[in-house]
Amino acid sequence: MERIIIDGLQFALPLFIMAIGGIYSERSGITNLCLEGLQGFGAFFGALAIALIGINNPSLVQANGFYIAIIFAMIGGMLFSLLHAILSIKYRANQVVSGIVVNLLAVSLTEFLTRQINSTVFGAPSNKFQLGVLPRHNIPVLSEIPLIGAFFKEIYPFQIIILIVAVLAWILFYKTRLGLRLRSLGDNPHAADSQGVNVEGIRYFAVMVSGALSGLAGISFAYSISANFSPAIFMGFGYLSITALIFGNWEIGPTFFATLLFGFARSGGYALAKALKMEAAFTDITMTLPYILTLLLLLFFSKNNRSPRALGEPFDKGKR
Amino acid sequence: MKKVLEKIKMPLLAVTISLIFGAIVILLLKKNPLEAYSAFLQGAGLLPKANYGGNQNQLSDFFVFLDGTAPMIFASLAIVISLKGGLFNIGVAGQMLLSGFFATILVGYSPLPGLVAKPIVILIGLVVGGILGGIVGYLKAKFNINEVVSTIMFNYIIQYTTSYFIQTSFVDPVSRQSKYILSSASLTFKGVSAFGVKLDISISFFLAILVAIYLNYFLNKKKDGFEIKMVGLNRKGSEYAGVNVEKTIIKTMVISGALAGLAGVSYYLGYMQSIQPGVLGSLGFNAIATALLGGVNSIGVIFASLLLTILDRGSVFMSSRLGIVKEISGVITSIILIFSAISGYIGLKLSERKKEER
Repeated sequence: MERIIIDGLQFALPLFIMAIGGIYSERSGITNLCLEGLQGFGAFFGALAIALIGINNPSLVQANGFYIAIIFAMIGGMLFSLLHAILSIKYRANQVVSGIVVNLLAVSLTEFLTRQINSTVFGAPSNKFQLGVLPRHNIPVLSEIPLIGAFFKEIYPFQIIILIVAVLAWILFYKTRLGLRLRSLGDNPHAADSQGVNVEGIRYFAVMVSGALSGLAGISFAYSISANFSPAIFMGFGYLSITALIFGNWEIGPTFFATLLFGFARSGGYALAKALKMEAAFTDITMTLPYILTLLLLLFFSKNNRSPRALGEPFDKGKR
Repeated sequence: MKKVLEKIKMPLLAVTISLIFGAIVILLLKKNPLEAYSAFLQGAGLLPKANYGGNQNQLSDFFVFLDGTAPMIFASLAIVISLKGGLFNIGVAGQMLLSGFFATILVGYSPLPGLVAKPIVILIGLVVGGILGGIVGYLKAKFNINEVVSTIMFNYIIQYTTSYFIQTSFVDPVSRQSKYILSSASLTFKGVSAFGVKLDISISFFLAILVAIYLNYFLNKKKDGFEIKMVGLNRKGSEYAGVNVEKTIIKTMVISGALAGLAGVSYYLGYMQSIQPGVLGSLGFNAIATALLGGVNSIGVIFASLLLTILDRGSVFMSSRLGIVKEISGVITSIILIFSAISGYIGLKLSERKKEER
């Protein structure tokens, strides 16, 4: 039981922070199918930064590698998201198309660069960058509580960072003027425009937030799942968080519960296979649990699902 | 003729710019771009290589290239029809895998003679893919479940379940893939002796061309095809015009799924001959790109598929000859797509400028 909670949380929180980025982007009116690519590129950028800085300053990386990686992952995700922003805002490309293209580019570009940099800079034929193992902590007192204590056990530092960033993102989204304006853009950009709101500026901002948050998620996945960056980072977690945010009806609170559901269904599936002493191949069956569950739940909850009204439409000042 | 030229102008521009960009990257790696690009063509059998293994020549490379193009055409057609209907079938990879899986276990290892087995394989592709697409369409029409979400869920479910069954019942202990299918069930005649060499003759490629031509006719001349396009353009409007929107959505997804099913059987029971468990083919996603490059047009995707398959097929040979990482082909492909994604905007600006000049 403890294991399910610990592993579930550790998977759910990166999904959650990525979904928040998606909500920012989509509520501002920009369809964002490229979370997958953004998290992968972010993780790549963070891991690359550590590898390159480590050449001259191995002690710096040893001491603060994780924080360096997180900062660069967020920068990398943000830079890469600019591509989606420019394609869909400036060049008015179909936003679904742009998202898919950005994903394809992220996969091929990171694999190409990882192999090429490994062979030219480090002289090794590898498609990985090592990150190092991250320590996990128990939160004193709270982790001693029976049952609930599991929520505070074996916590990765990124989980704390994600929670703090998530709270900040929630406040910005629901409690500030910028957030209010951003939310209005997804439903009626023309009304906002006539109020003097800078539609395109806020949309650039929203997409870049999604890039930075996806980068944070990507590097967290990289640390917790494999302690390295490799093309295996493109496992489809980005698509999963899109599902979560649609499930959560484009609101941050409900989306949190959707990601928790994914996290616990996943760790629960693993635990089930282990408890039943099934052969290893059987985990494949239990791995389908979160997805079957999602489909079933969607059957009941989709009727009232409503996407932002102007989602996916390029903004054209002249058009009403 | 002028209309066709107008249509292919932007994709051609996108391709040219990307090839130039690729050339710059190759130059930065201190390699010769001309040599690299001709190696791509050599790998795909469009230019002769310096030397060949036994029983092989340029023609055998070329036939393998055609064989590899077939699933790409089918998969892109699946995307084309869904986009025409205003839907986004992101589940082509899953639909391919499930149809390939069923065809493999039901026919792939059975003693049926080829004349019976091959048509059944094609039928299974159509039916399994069609049913799966139909479910997605039904969920969309009746329950308002976003097709992007449901197809992604199905992708995962199919990926894991087929992996379980392949690993427990159909695995080849050496290759860790499903056992190779019998030649009677194969949609590719492997190693046929002709012109003094061994050729892989693909049934699927010719089928794919025929299907593409028919789909073009269907979308432009048939009532059903017209309705699909109408719903794609304006769902509310076509409802007022008396089109049964729910039924059309389901129909669109059935056709799209069936085409993806054909892609699946031609890939797993033709080009590959076996299934790697737990892996969704990247082809299902690349097809989205191919459909876009082909201008979301059934005939256009034939040419787009040929081009992107050259980059894909040729990359292995290019990599072994020049020592450039083969993933560069993926980078070039993505850049082609970026330019074709914004070609609408560039075309618009160009025509605006023309008007101003007048």
